[in-house]
Amino acid sequence: MSVVALLEPQALDPQLELAELTEAARGDGAIVTFVGLARPESKQGNAVDALVLDHHPALTRQSLQDIAVACAERFDVSHVRLVHRCGTVPAREPIVFAGAASLHRRSAFDAINYLMDRLKTEAVFWKREVGDAGSAWVEPTEADFADRDRWG
Amino acid sequence: MEMELRIRFYGRLADAIAPEIELATGGCSISDLRSRIASDYPVVEATLGRSRACVGDSIAGDEQQVSDADVVEFLPPVSGG
Repeated sequence: MSVVALLEPQALDPQLELAELTEAARGDGAIVTFVGLARPESKQGNAVDALVLDHHPALTRQSLQDIAVACAERFDVSHVRLVHRCGTVPAREPIVFAGAASLHRRSAFDAINYLMDRLKTEAVFWKREVGDAGSAWVEPTEADFADRDRWG
Repeated sequence: MEMELRIRFYGRLADAIAPEIELATGGCSISDLRSRIASDYPVVEATLGRSRACVGDSIAGDEQQVSDADVVEFLPPVSGG
């Protein structure tokens, strides 16, 4: 089993990340991936030029690692690969890549669902949307917390 | 020179106050520190109440005592993905 959790300050290329995961998953039968993109519009309908992700010098990497390891231990997966952007992410560009490989598909689907639900509420980032309307901080919603809580 | 407690902020707290400030406290609890910051910067009172305090990259409870040699960090609610 392998767990890779990376904090990426530069552009994130999902195809490269998938290639890395595919290379690691030679004996597996399934790979499930999720790519999160920076939305070009806020919930209030304002145009967003970029998402800015502030992070903590130590706790952010640790949170990514902890969540990825918990995911690998909880589900029957062979490999977990998590890459999360920090810094300024232009709208429509990838913010996160989450991938899991397993012998059979169900556990990889469940693993990625779990990983993303925890990332939304526990990964140590502070996000703000920047656009013509100014800058607005984004925090987890009640729905995000409910999504996380369903895993117990 | 007299030592002052260094306090680091992240996210919207850094935006509203500064990434880092220094305060001479002579030693106090995290709870005292929260009160003092909220008094000095009333605009962050609600966010501060929802923020975790950390000392040495570990969560610090409100009763924990800190000295002016410490660095205390306040982390507002986080969100990744």
